Parts: sequence; C-alpha cells; structure tokens
Amino acid sequence: MGVFCSRVRMEEKKLFSAFRAQGIPFERVDVRRQIFSLNGKNPTERFDVVLIRCLSHTRSLYVAKMLEHHGMRVVNGHQCIAICGDKVLTTMALRENKIPTPRTTMTFSLESSLMAMEAMGYPVVIKPAVGSWGRLMAKVNDRESAEAVLEHKLALGHDFPYYIQEFVEKPGRDIRTLVVGEKTVYAVYRESQHWITNTARGGETSLCPVTPEIDRISQAAARAVKGEIVAVDLLEKADGELLVNEVNHTPEFHGASKVAEGDIASTIIKYIKEVREIERGRTL
Amino acid sequence: MNENKRRHTQNGEVKVGVLCSRIRVEEKLLIQALQERNVSFQSIDSRDFALALGQGEDSYPDPTKSLETLQECDVVLIRCLSHSRAYYLSRWLEGRGIPTVSSHQAITTCGDKMLTSTALREADVPIPNTRIAFTRETALEAIEEMNYPVVLKPLFGSWGRLLARINDRCAAEAVLEHKTRLGDYTHGVFYIQEYVEKPGRDIRSFVVGDRTIAAIYRQSSHWITNTARGGEATKCPITTEVDSLSRAAARAVGGGVVAIDLLEDPDGRLLVNEVNHTPEFRNSIDATGVDIPGEIIDHVLEVAMKGKSGC
Repeated sequence: MGVFCSRVRMEEKKLFSAFRAQGIPFERVDVRRQIFSLNGKNPTERFDVVLIRCLSHTRSLYVAKMLEHHGMRVVNGHQCIAICGDKVLTTMALRENKIPTPRTTMTFSLESSLMAMEAMGYPVVIKPAVGSWGRLMAKVNDRESAEAVLEHKLALGHDFPYYIQEFVEKPGRDIRTLVVGEKTVYAVYRESQHWITNTARGGETSLCPVTPEIDRISQAAARAVKGEIVAVDLLEKADGELLVNEVNHTPEFHGASKVAEGDIASTIIKYIKEVREIERGRTL
Repeated sequence: MNENKRRHTQNGEVKVGVLCSRIRVEEKLLIQALQERNVSFQSIDSRDFALALGQGEDSYPDPTKSLETLQECDVVLIRCLSHSRAYYLSRWLEGRGIPTVSSHQAITTCGDKMLTSTALREADVPIPNTRIAFTRETALEAIEEMNYPVVLKPLFGSWGRLLARINDRCAAEAVLEHKTRLGDYTHGVFYIQEYVEKPGRDIRSFVVGDRTIAAIYRQSSHWITNTARGGEATKCPITTEVDSLSRAAARAVGGGVVAIDLLEDPDGRLLVNEVNHTPEFRNSIDATGVDIPGEIIDHVLEVAMKGKSGC
C-alpha cells in the first residue's frame, strides 16, 4: 500500500496510525521527491493500492494519472479527481444523474455573465471552476458588486468560464457528509455567521443525524463523480429540500473527528484493505 | 435524448453548428465549404450566452437566439480559439447528446500534454523521453539525469507559447524559477522532455476520421517550427510510416479532426510530439494541394448522419 502525499496534515497522521493499528504495512511517498517517467518502468510500481492525499488538486490529479498509467489501482481515481476538482464538471455530472444542485450557469464573456446574474436574480455566487477552501468565492448582492467583481476577475487574468450559481438561503449552516465505499460514514453540520461555512474558514462543527435522505443523496453524489472516498457538501433549502453543492476528492476530517462517532481514519483504511483484497483476487 | 433535435431535421437534412469566437482564415474556409455543399449551418459565438449546467434549465434570456440554435444542431464543429472554451462547451454538448468535432474526449486529451503523452504511450505510439516532476528541485534533478538539451513545456497552451529549450544548468535554474512565479497552478507540474535533434524541420500530418489526408514539413531555423511562428510549409509525402503513426496517434487521443506533430530523430525514427484538436491549416492547403476544409466538412457531415441514424 502506498500513501502519496505532500505535507502531512492531521488527517494523514491519523491514516498512518490506522494502518499501523490494523497491522497493514504501508509506505508514505512524498510526491515532492518523486520523478515520474513516461517511458519505461517507474520505481513506484510496487504498490497494490495507492491512496492519494496530496494537498494540491493539481498534484493529486497528475499523480493519480501517472500511477494509473503505470497500472496501479488508485483511490480516488484520476477520473474522480478530475470531476471533483472542477465545479463545472461536478455540477454537470450531478445533474446528468438527476441529483439536485443549485441552479448554475457557465459563461464565456463579461456581458453574458452579467446577463446570467440579472436573469438568475441576486444574490448569486461566483466561484472559480477550480479551487478549494472557499478561496475567491464571491457573493454578489447587486449589479454594482457584480460589475466590480467581474472586473477584478478579468484583471486577475481569470480564464472563462465563470461559474455562476444561485445563492441558497441556508439556515446558517450546511451539511458535510463523508462517503467511504458504499457507506455514508458520518454527517456534520458546519455552522457559521459567514455565508462560507468551510471549517477551514472558522465554521463550527456539530453532529448531524444521517437521515435516509442524506444517506441516499450522499451515495448518489459519490457515484455520480465516481468517488470512493469523498466528502459531499449539502445545502438545505427553506422547504427542506437537499441540494448537493460540491464534492471533495481529498476530504479533510479533523473538524468532524471531534464530534463523529467511530474512528474515521480506520474506516478509510478498512476500505483500502478491501480494495487490496479485490485487486489481489484479480491478479491471482 | 435527441427528440428535440430530431424535430428540426427531416430526411437527411442536416444542421451544422460552427462554434467559434474570432473568425480566422480557417473558419472562413470551413464556412465556404459548408456553403458549397448547400448545408444548413449556423456559426455561433460562444461568448453570447450563459449555459445552464442542469438539464431542463435553459430559460436564460437569449437575445441572439444562438443558444436555441446550438441545441438544434445535429453536429457542432468546435473552432474556438481558447482551449478552455472548447473543453467546456464540448462537455456541455456531449451531456445533451449533440456530437461534436472534435469530441470532448479528444479535446480533453489533446489539450493537456500529460494526457496526450499517457494516451500515446498506452497505444504504443513512440514519444520523446518524458518525465514529470512536481517541485523545482526534482525538476532540476530530472533535467540533469536526462542530460541537456531538454525542453520544458507547459501542460496547456499552443502556438509554441512558453516552450523553453534548456541547454545548461543556468538556463534550467532560471526558467524553473520563473515558472514557479507564473501563478497558474498547472505551472507547478514540470513536464520535461528530451530535445530531439531534428533535421531543421518537423512533420505535421492531418488526420480526418481515420484517414491521413495531408502532411507537410515545417522548416525553420528556429527549433520551434510552428508556421504561426514563421515555420515554412512544404509538402511531405505520406509514407506508410507517417500514415500508420498518424492514424495510431489520432485513435489514441479519441479521433476526430486532429493534426499530429511528428519528429524525425537522428536514427530516422518517427516520434509523436503533440496532437492538436483544432488545427490551423491555412498554410497547408497550397503546400499539399489537398482541400483540407472540404475534407473536414465531409467528415463533420458523416458524424451528423451517423448521429441521426443512431449508430
């Protein structure tokens, strides 16, 4: 087993401990020290299963591709990382699988961006198609702020498409669930005064019961993005309907681990072990 | 899925969309070829509309009706200048069951040098020695191992932009440092390739469907031979090797209408360097005497007919 990562966060430490606790030999590979060759063999071809835990989406994406190219079983796979890492692709995959999301458009010019926002009705949210931790997400409440934000995006050289979404009036919180294999391991509320409820930005975490509806939509979202270990962000509409907002391919779970029952890391490692058994069965 | 579309077309009548932004010589020639064939077509500017990502949610104001037009097409020829536009629009059209030339898969693969390389290798198509690193330090180590000169390429980009030939360690250090300051995340992935000593030229072949329709030499005193950068085009014979390698490369990336860049190494072996999903061809028509736009449009019509007959 290999864990490909860069900086080791609390999550990675817990995963390493879980490997040890379950007596599974593993190797940590720092992708910052690796050179991957496209011709001939690679020194990394020794793993049955590789767990990808890079901080950077770009690194995760290309490391997964390189390892799959060399015939390894990677979790999450390149396709999942490609879909989850791009909000346009995520929303399309979800909607094509009949999973409700906030209304979303993509635009390719300043004019059509303004047009879309006016048609959708303020407030709207503009997000970078690629990016995480709530960075550069902008809530736009009126035409003046729309113009200001768009002009700054252009000045920054941000490439189209722009991802423009209706703002969902949520009850001061959103829900994040973790799906591992075919199980919804936990759900937590992330509460915040700010409209961005990301725990990395100071959102507070409390336990949320995994209702059949939360379970069903989380599973469906994970399947739609071809995810094996993913975090699903859900928004509650005023009428109680759940919408899927985003799916994350390298879930952080330090906030949730304080409130969720059971050991999250060991659940993940158990799943990786199952994958290994299947892979070994296949090669025998 | 295509009911909406079928309503607008009967008895083999085909509607072609040409999705573009700026109209270059190539797009003019393609439109001319459509006119000569009496095909019903519409050129559509991708900047005109906001695209709803969810199905059944297309009710955005569409003053130019271009979105409506787009959804009535039997096939869409993607001729956007920007890769990102081609990439997302082909994905959107694919989700709505409208075939595109090139396909979203081909655009995805060709638009990213790493995906091109892995696809080519998986199809046993020879490519120059290539390594990937994720930090300046490992990139430098890989370069030193491969030996100078090497070529550093951005994963995305065309017209030879930001291609850097590195002849020694000083150049490697300088260029790597500049790359890390470029801001875009993807510049943090270092794509390093051996420099192939080519005979002052490379070969560009055009594959349409599963046929190699034309090939040119691109001659230049500069190591970057792009005709957009002054490389001169002359006819190149389509040898059995050029033909089979070009078609193999096209198949590997997902086919459609693609241009293949081939390098001749000092042993006379051919290597595939890059594959382009929206080829420019203005300088290749006179050099080869091949009606490239006509061939492209015939292929586009074939794709439309196949889509309509459901096979």
